[in-house]
Amino acid sequence: MNRPAKLMIGLLLCLFALVLLWVFHVALTQPPGARLADLALASLPLSGVTNPVTAVLVNYRAYDTLLELAVLLAALLGIWSLGAATPGFQPAGSALAAMVSWVVPLLILTGGYLLWVGGYAPGGAFQAGALLGAAGVLLRLAGDERAGLPSERAQRRLAVAGIAVFALVGLGTMVAGTGFLTYPQRWSKWLILLAETAATVSIGVILAAAYAGGKPRSRASDGATP
Amino acid sequence: MLDSLALAVTVPLLAALLVTALPGRVQTLGVIGAIATALVSLRVTVQVWQHGSLRSDPGGWGAPLGLALQADGLSAALLAMAALVALAISVYATGYFREGERRLHFWPLWFLLWSALNALLLAADLFNLYVTLELLGLTAVALGALTGQREAVAANLRYLLVGLLGSMTYLLGVVLLYAAYGTLDIGLTGAAIRPGPVASAALVLMTGGLALKAAIFPLHFWLPPAHANAPAPVSAVLSALVVKAAFYLILRLWLDVFGAIVTPAAAGLLGLLGAAAVIWGSWRALRAERLKLLAAYSTLAQIGYLCLFFPLLQATPEGPARDDLLAALVLMAISHGFAKAGLFLAAGLVQHSAGHDRIDELGGTAQHLPATTFTIALAGTTLIGLPPSGSFIGKWILMTGAIATGQWWWILVILIGTLLAAAYVFRVLSRAFNEAPTPRRFVTQASTEVPALLLALTSAVVLGLGAQLLWRLMGFGVVA
Repeated sequence: MNRPAKLMIGLLLCLFALVLLWVFHVALTQPPGARLADLALASLPLSGVTNPVTAVLVNYRAYDTLLELAVLLAALLGIWSLGAATPGFQPAGSALAAMVSWVVPLLILTGGYLLWVGGYAPGGAFQAGALLGAAGVLLRLAGDERAGLPSERAQRRLAVAGIAVFALVGLGTMVAGTGFLTYPQRWSKWLILLAETAATVSIGVILAAAYAGGKPRSRASDGATP
Repeated sequence: MLDSLALAVTVPLLAALLVTALPGRVQTLGVIGAIATALVSLRVTVQVWQHGSLRSDPGGWGAPLGLALQADGLSAALLAMAALVALAISVYATGYFREGERRLHFWPLWFLLWSALNALLLAADLFNLYVTLELLGLTAVALGALTGQREAVAANLRYLLVGLLGSMTYLLGVVLLYAAYGTLDIGLTGAAIRPGPVASAALVLMTGGLALKAAIFPLHFWLPPAHANAPAPVSAVLSALVVKAAFYLILRLWLDVFGAIVTPAAAGLLGLLGAAAVIWGSWRALRAERLKLLAAYSTLAQIGYLCLFFPLLQATPEGPARDDLLAALVLMAISHGFAKAGLFLAAGLVQHSAGHDRIDELGGTAQHLPATTFTIALAGTTLIGLPPSGSFIGKWILMTGAIATGQWWWILVILIGTLLAAAYVFRVLSRAFNEAPTPRRFVTQASTEVPALLLALTSAVVLGLGAQLLWRLMGFGVVA
């Protein structure tokens, strides 16, 4: 593309951004109507958790979160459909290997902490899963071609487990009569913890497997591949 | 109590999880999952038929705090179309992906796509719609690249980027609406919306983003290569359902959210783009060298016809005339869905049998596949809009509406488009009769040819003759 055309596109984009900023300004300076944040805080005692963000994610709009987990799974399956992963990096030198052997357990521990703390403070399944995924990334950088994950068959089951538990909790509450993904108030804390724990594992596995960048290669130690 | 709306989303989702976790039994589980999904989808349609619209609140909070699922005549009609088309494609896929690695990849992504489609058609929340768009877009891209050929991967990488741009633009519009009105529910936002820069900007952003995904002219550039290079069952679902889902969303937003602020000029612009798409798409289809490329360009033209309804809907006051236009729009969308799915499946069979799909060299091949040639002819009947197809009735009402609202110029577009469609359909069919007839059997491979034939037959005969049922499903008086 020639220079004037590029300049033109840049100018148009700037103009577009200015218009959008102006519109956004208008939207924000309008007299505020009822805000959902007030409603979300007011309903908090009924939700089974005391952190409003967690309440939105796994209670008020749990159905959104269920579909978002499906988006993650779709991304991983899409990556796998494009072929096998490239072999990993070289095994790490002794300094990196020593650091990884310290950091990975710490990441897993912190992930567990964030999962638990999500009930009343910032944290939750996505944050905890991201830490688990980061542990996988570190392992892969240090030379493990599978990013610390088990065989493909086990990866498939772990990746779907979180969504399956979430969906089955939803169907369970539907069959029990309260409605799809509608937790009975007495049980809500424990059902949320169950769904979040399973989701954490799946998110971690999916992120680490996605970083590996392709279908896992089978190893001799796996036994029969599916 | 079973919530049929939630089931229509969770059953295909669970099927996707099962085929992912148990790759050894993918074919059996795939067929069972497809039948189960089609049944729960059709159950929603039956319930809408019986009770009018349905609504449920996952989480039990209700709008505006929670989100809702909703089905009315419009979504129920498209849901039923999606269920039948997807079921036929599933049966076809068992024959198409017989063995090998590819079917392991196909089935999980396929069920995730089906789940996203149902979720999109049933969503009543603007942000939830964004999530379904993302799921739909990602699975569509991954399925489209399944052949692994260079052109397919390149075309789908472009499709991915275009799709992301489209959903981001849509999301920007949602953010504006939420900032201004403090709600995400479609009904509540529609009730609260006021004319002004915020609402207009949201309308432009959301329509623009979705127009990119629906391949509305001139934002169609990504569609022909992506649809023409995908495996046949995937092309069928992309053209028949995925593009239609984005179009459905535009229609839903214009009717239920922006109904109060849409101006005749905006509707006229959409109609103008539709007119350009009808002529350009049909012309390119006529010039296409490959059968699948022809089918892809014809999709552009068919989306164009659907856009022509907007200026007429805008100019027609509430009442039976407007109801007829709306039902005719849905009838055309559904007819095209069945016909295009049938056409792509048939094109896949021709390609499989001949090793290529160049139209000029199809002669002998088409003659050895009588059922497939018949499928192409039936689908062609619908694409042209000949009676008794559903699109004949649709075009008829479209033209009546154009005359009634004094917008006669759309009729010229429809006539030119129909003429070009007849030309490109007969260009293919004429190749089928240039050798001495040697068909041995009508059907050669039942599991793939019969679903394609049934789809085309539905579009060309059943929908035209049974069109009144659609009016009943949408809660309108029967057409005069």
